[in-house]
Amino acid sequence: MRKLFAATLGVLSAVGGFVDIGDVVAASQAGALFGMAHTWVLLVGVVGICAYAEMAGRIAAVSGRAVFDLVRERLGPRVALLNLVASWLVTVVTLAAELGGVALALQLATRLSHLFWVPLAALAVWLVLWRLRFELMERIFGLAGLALLVFAVALVALPTDWPALGQGVWQVGASGHGWPLYWFVAVALFASTVSPYEVFFFSSGGVEERWSAADLARARSNVLTGFPVGGFLALSLIAVATVAYHPSGASLSTLDEVARPVATALGGAGLAAAVLAFFAVTFGAALETGLSAAYAAAQYFGWQWGKRVRPREAARFHSVLLVGLLLGVVMLMTTVDPVRLTEYMLVLSAVVLPLTYLPILVVANDRGYLGDRVNGRWTNLLGAVFLVLIVAASVAAIPLAVMTGMGR
Amino acid sequence: MRVQLAERLLDRQIVDVDGLLVGRVDDIAFAVDDEGFPYVDCLLTGQGALGERIGGRVGRLLVAVADRFTDDPSVPPLRVPLSQVARVDSAVRLRCPAADLPPSPVEAWLRRHLIERIPGSGRASG
Repeated sequence: MRKLFAATLGVLSAVGGFVDIGDVVAASQAGALFGMAHTWVLLVGVVGICAYAEMAGRIAAVSGRAVFDLVRERLGPRVALLNLVASWLVTVVTLAAELGGVALALQLATRLSHLFWVPLAALAVWLVLWRLRFELMERIFGLAGLALLVFAVALVALPTDWPALGQGVWQVGASGHGWPLYWFVAVALFASTVSPYEVFFFSSGGVEERWSAADLARARSNVLTGFPVGGFLALSLIAVATVAYHPSGASLSTLDEVARPVATALGGAGLAAAVLAFFAVTFGAALETGLSAAYAAAQYFGWQWGKRVRPREAARFHSVLLVGLLLGVVMLMTTVDPVRLTEYMLVLSAVVLPLTYLPILVVANDRGYLGDRVNGRWTNLLGAVFLVLIVAASVAAIPLAVMTGMGR
Repeated sequence: MRVQLAERLLDRQIVDVDGLLVGRVDDIAFAVDDEGFPYVDCLLTGQGALGERIGGRVGRLLVAVADRFTDDPSVPPLRVPLSQVARVDSAVRLRCPAADLPPSPVEAWLRRHLIERIPGSGRASG
C-alpha cells in the first residue's frame, strides 16, 4: 500500500513538473487562434519527451552521471562550453519567464502589480531551494499543479460542442491566420512540451536521488505515465481556449484571459483553482529551471553540486544559482511583459533544442557508460525521427518569428 | 598513445574516495624520468588550467574570471599526483579524500565571501 502511494506520488510530481508557463501561454494561444488544430504537435512532443526522458533516466541510473556531465567528455571543452553558454542563457530566460508567471498569478490573486511580487517570488524560490528537501519540493508543487484539472472540469461546464471539438483535431488548417502563424505557434507549443530544462532536471534529479539500476523501472513508469497526463492537461488548456475564444479568433495576451473562461464556467472557486494552478506550475518550474541552470554550469566545470551536500561545500554551485535568480529578477524589472517574455523564451528554446537532445541520443548509445543497457533499435529509430523534427523546429524558429512579427 | 590519454583522462570528472566531486581533468602535466622518457606526472584541475588549454579570447576570459574570484590572483591549478588515482572508469576515482588536496581557490573565495555568510550554509537541505 505504502509502495503504491509512493509510486502515485512520483507519477503526480511528473505530471506537475511537465506543465509550466510556456505550456500555459502556448497552449492557450494555439487554442484561441487555431482551435484544436495543434493537437498533433502536443502528441508528437509528448512521445518525444517520453523517449528522451527515459534515455536520460537510464543514463543517470546506470552510470550515476547526469546528461550534461557527459557532454564535455563527448564533445570536448570548446564545443561543450558553447553548448553550456547557450543552454544556461536559455534556461535563465526560462527561469525569468516562470518567475514572471508566479508574479502574474499573485497579481491575479491580489490585484497588486506583478512587479511588486517579482522580487518576493525570487526570494521564495531561493528559500525553497536553500532549505526544502528535494523530494518534498517536487511533490508539493507537483501535487498543487494538478489544480490545472480545473480546465478539464470547466470544459464540461462550458457549452462545449464535443463533436465539433473532436473534429477540430483532424481539421489541420490555418483558420484564416496564414500558415506562417500556424507553424510559428506549432514551434512554440513544441518547444514548450520538450523544454531542455526538463531533461537536465530529470537526469540530475535522478543522480541527486541516487537512482540505481533497480530504481530504473519506477523512474521509467513515473515518466511514461506522468508526462502523458501532463500532456492531457495542456490539451485541456487548448480545448478551453478553443471553446471560449476560437470562434472570434482573438489572440490572448494576458494570463487573466487564459483563466477567464474557467471563472465564467465555475465561478470564483474555479478562478481560485486556476490561479492556484498557475502559481504552482510556474513556481515548481522556477525551482526546476533555477536548479537546472546551476547544474549545467557545475557539471561542465566538475564542481561539487546538488542539494545533498552542505551549501558551503558547493559554494560555486550555489553562487551560480544566485546569479541566475538575480538575472531573472533584473530581466523582469525592465518591466517586460512576462507573457511576451515567455513567447521569446519559447523561440530561443526551440533554437537550442538540438544542443540538448543530440548528446542524449549519442550517450544513450555508448557502451562505455551504459554497458548492455544502450538503446535498442526501436528506441533509436524513434529518437532519430524525433531529432529530425527538433532540428526542423530549431532551424524554422527564427525565420517564422521574423515572418510573423513574433506571432502578432 | 596521445589519443588514448586524451580519451581516457582529459575532461573526466575527478571523484574523491567519499564520492565528493573534486573537479575535472582540465589538463595533464608531464615529467621526464632519468632515462629521458616522458610520463604523466599530475592531473591538473581548475578554471585557469582549462582556460589555458582552450586558449584564445574565450580561454583568457575563463582565466580572468577565475582570477577575479580569488584573493591571490594567478593561482596555479590544483595538481593531483597520479599516485593518488585509484582507478579510471567513467570518472577518475582518487584513493584520498578531497580534504587532503589543496582547496580550489575560487570555491574557497566564494565560500568565505558569499555562501558562508548566509544562515544555514552548514546544513544540507537534502
